[in-house]
Amino acid sequence: MIVTTSPATISPAPRRAASATAIAGLVIAALVAIALPAFTTGYVIYIANLLLVFVVLCLGLHIVIGETGQFSMAHAAFYGIGIYASALANRAVDLPYPFAMLFGALVAGAVGLFIGALALRMRDIYLALATFAFGEAMQWVFANWDSVTNGPNGLRISPARFGSLEILSDKQAYPFVVLFCVLMIGLTILISRSRLGRAFRAVRESEVAAMAMGIDVRRTRVIAFGLSAAIAGFAGGMFGLFQTFIHPDSLGFQTTILVLTMVVVGGLGSIVGAVGGAIVFGLISEVLRQAPQYQEIIYGGILILFMMYAPRGLFAFIGDRIKEVRRGQ
Amino acid sequence: MDLQLALIFLQQGIASGLVSGSIYALLALAIVIIFKTSEVPNFAQGEVFMAAGYVALYLFVFQKLPIWIVLPATLVAAFLAMALFRRIVLDQVAKSAKDLVYLVIATLGLSYVLKGLVRRTGFGDTPRSFPALVPTDSVMIGQASVTILDLTILGAALAVMAAFFWMFNYTKMGRAMRAVGMNPKAAQLVGVDLKRCHMTIWGMSGVISAIAALLIAPKILMTADMGSIVMLAFAAAIVGGFSSLPGAIVGGFIIGIVENMVGLFISSRAIVLAPFLAILIVLVIRPQGLFGGKLTIKKV
Amino acid sequence: MASEPFLDVQGLTIRFGGLTAVGGFDMAVAKGSIHALIGPNGAGKSTTFNCISRFYTPSEGRILFDGQDITRLPARAMAGLGVARSFQNLELFSELSVFENVLIGAHVHAGRSWRDAISARPAEIGEHVEHLLERTGLADYAQTKARNLDFGHQKMVEIARALAMRPKLLLLDEPAAGLRNREIAALDRLLCELRERDGLTIVLVEHVMQLVMSISDRITVLSFGTKIAEGTAAEVRAHPAVIEAYLGRETTHA
Repeated sequence: MIVTTSPATISPAPRRAASATAIAGLVIAALVAIALPAFTTGYVIYIANLLLVFVVLCLGLHIVIGETGQFSMAHAAFYGIGIYASALANRAVDLPYPFAMLFGALVAGAVGLFIGALALRMRDIYLALATFAFGEAMQWVFANWDSVTNGPNGLRISPARFGSLEILSDKQAYPFVVLFCVLMIGLTILISRSRLGRAFRAVRESEVAAMAMGIDVRRTRVIAFGLSAAIAGFAGGMFGLFQTFIHPDSLGFQTTILVLTMVVVGGLGSIVGAVGGAIVFGLISEVLRQAPQYQEIIYGGILILFMMYAPRGLFAFIGDRIKEVRRGQ
Repeated sequence: MDLQLALIFLQQGIASGLVSGSIYALLALAIVIIFKTSEVPNFAQGEVFMAAGYVALYLFVFQKLPIWIVLPATLVAAFLAMALFRRIVLDQVAKSAKDLVYLVIATLGLSYVLKGLVRRTGFGDTPRSFPALVPTDSVMIGQASVTILDLTILGAALAVMAAFFWMFNYTKMGRAMRAVGMNPKAAQLVGVDLKRCHMTIWGMSGVISAIAALLIAPKILMTADMGSIVMLAFAAAIVGGFSSLPGAIVGGFIIGIVENMVGLFISSRAIVLAPFLAILIVLVIRPQGLFGGKLTIKKV
Repeated sequence: MASEPFLDVQGLTIRFGGLTAVGGFDMAVAKGSIHALIGPNGAGKSTTFNCISRFYTPSEGRILFDGQDITRLPARAMAGLGVARSFQNLELFSELSVFENVLIGAHVHAGRSWRDAISARPAEIGEHVEHLLERTGLADYAQTKARNLDFGHQKMVEIARALAMRPKLLLLDEPAAGLRNREIAALDRLLCELRERDGLTIVLVEHVMQLVMSISDRITVLSFGTKIAEGTAAEVRAHPAVIEAYLGRETTHA
């Protein structure tokens, strides 16, 4: 075989076409993002802020589902832990807001490590179930731990401070939200390319082979889960940059499904997919707000149809079609 | 709390726990038979249960059809919906992606579609009640008060479980299902029609969920969110080891009793936490569940 | 040949339930040799192999590697000790590129410094991987996804990935199964070169007698879980018990 036989290889062209589509989209998105505050209203900025928070949530879910191939059904819970923890830290101590954000991420990550370490004692399917139950339980905690979360009345979030600068509007918060979002994208890329990221993918592709390469499979899975929870917690801190109020109702399974749908639409397993999916589907769901009674059917239908016909996501799907058309000519 | 009261609570907790536990046991059974054969935890099981309840409600209350038509029609609808979902959706998913993650996400999609559909029909807007077909008079068993309806639920659930076990252990179809559960490829080699077998299992799982819905519907207020009790069924399945049928049933009763005890002795607000705590305790103390065997070594 | 065995399997017994798959099996592998483990189907070769690579744990017996008792160590500790293995039924990271597959083989060496740990292509390791791809004829496919390769190349990725662990002992589970003659010849050359030039010790389980007879310094024959013969290719071929065990089977693929 060293004498080269017929290379039965499929050219990497569809992937390249897919990532070209996605990168073009991202560049446009970035330009729009920078130019945005100049000529839009506060509401649009608010939506943009929220969208960027969801980008970071998607990055977190990407680490656990996309890279490591395991489930987390409690992303809304970790997001919520991040929101409450950073809001409370911000209120308790007089430090610049990023410290509160880090605190939120650490608390969420620590809880994630604990749940992950427990659930991963058995086969990985338990992770899906245990996190599902954990998500429900956390929403209950948010709604009932009155002394900390102010229970079902919701918690007022005091404005974020950077030294003497106090953030009072969506427009003021926007550059910081963009900055933190870009930082998290950078961090995720770094992790994904690193030795740890390779271990994540090795575990996803073949546990036995990963073991033979000297990778501690269980530890790697727990780390992925904890890291993913920490990123979701960080997204919670970003939320506190521009939001003044949090209510437990917005931290339920619905939000987990929304993030999952975004990642699925963008394409499981690629960072570009996670980010692109958050933006594309975030905009779609904003439009869907006009017809709330169809929302569930559409989310569910999208999940099913993508799994059936485009499991690698929208961008890969478009890339493949482009390639087919080209080949047809 | 004095001892006398505690004893009454204990008896009441067990009696009520056995009744709600029988519903969790049925749903856990429905989940486990699918997991054993497809390795997929079906996250739409609760919504199938919920939707079946609404089909019966629509036919019985709104169309005023006689009950002897309503019952079989509901069961057939549940069977067909699940069998077709397996055949049309999941077979296609399995064809375009090898990973189980994709199948699980598809079941999440189904749960949302079903919930959305029920809400769209308009019946899901306000809580509805399903008329009881048997008297709801109370009787005393020991110091616990239960209704005739409760006893009917428990009896019917046990009968369904017995029927399923008989089918699973003593019929040709059951043998095929067990074979698929152990080794799908080998089962196919000895002549089991894999696609048909999967369809039958998913269909039966739908039927069992529908029966659970028909049994419990008169006792609860029906809403589009009533499928969330599936969490307790998942907890039951985990307690039982997740791939053991007797485990699912014993787990169901345990969860039912624990839930009622928590409600009586601690606080009804804390009931929501019961399934999570049960899962957590099992994961800490006995991660393979009560009936789960040791993990088998993967052949390399 | 060194006097002290590099890999020493002593009294290995493996039971599954009541069934004894392998009973009281001994095998001593000399450093720098190619040692083949052969036998009819179901003889217990793969079970023994999986015990040595620590994927199964024996019911009785000891396994010594380079003087160290490894009988109870977890499978993931083997790579760090310098024991690499390949998989009979291909356990590639199929959605990843060939380069990344082999790079992950170097996992235990890629964390020496922070720079290495966060790098997508740690300098010295990246070069080593490229060198291995050259040697195994995979250089042209570095960026191809493993699942898109043909079977022969996929088998080679298994070996390249194992070599990336920089092993002292290489365990190969049926490396020639399913290969074409030309590919077997290339494998033959590669394994001999690894022994001669790199001083690697190789243990292989194999059915393809053409390869086994040509490269092995020593051959152990297993039948129904017990050792029935051991020796050089010529000795084993002439051994009456071996002929008996293989009766009705071809002993050489032509």
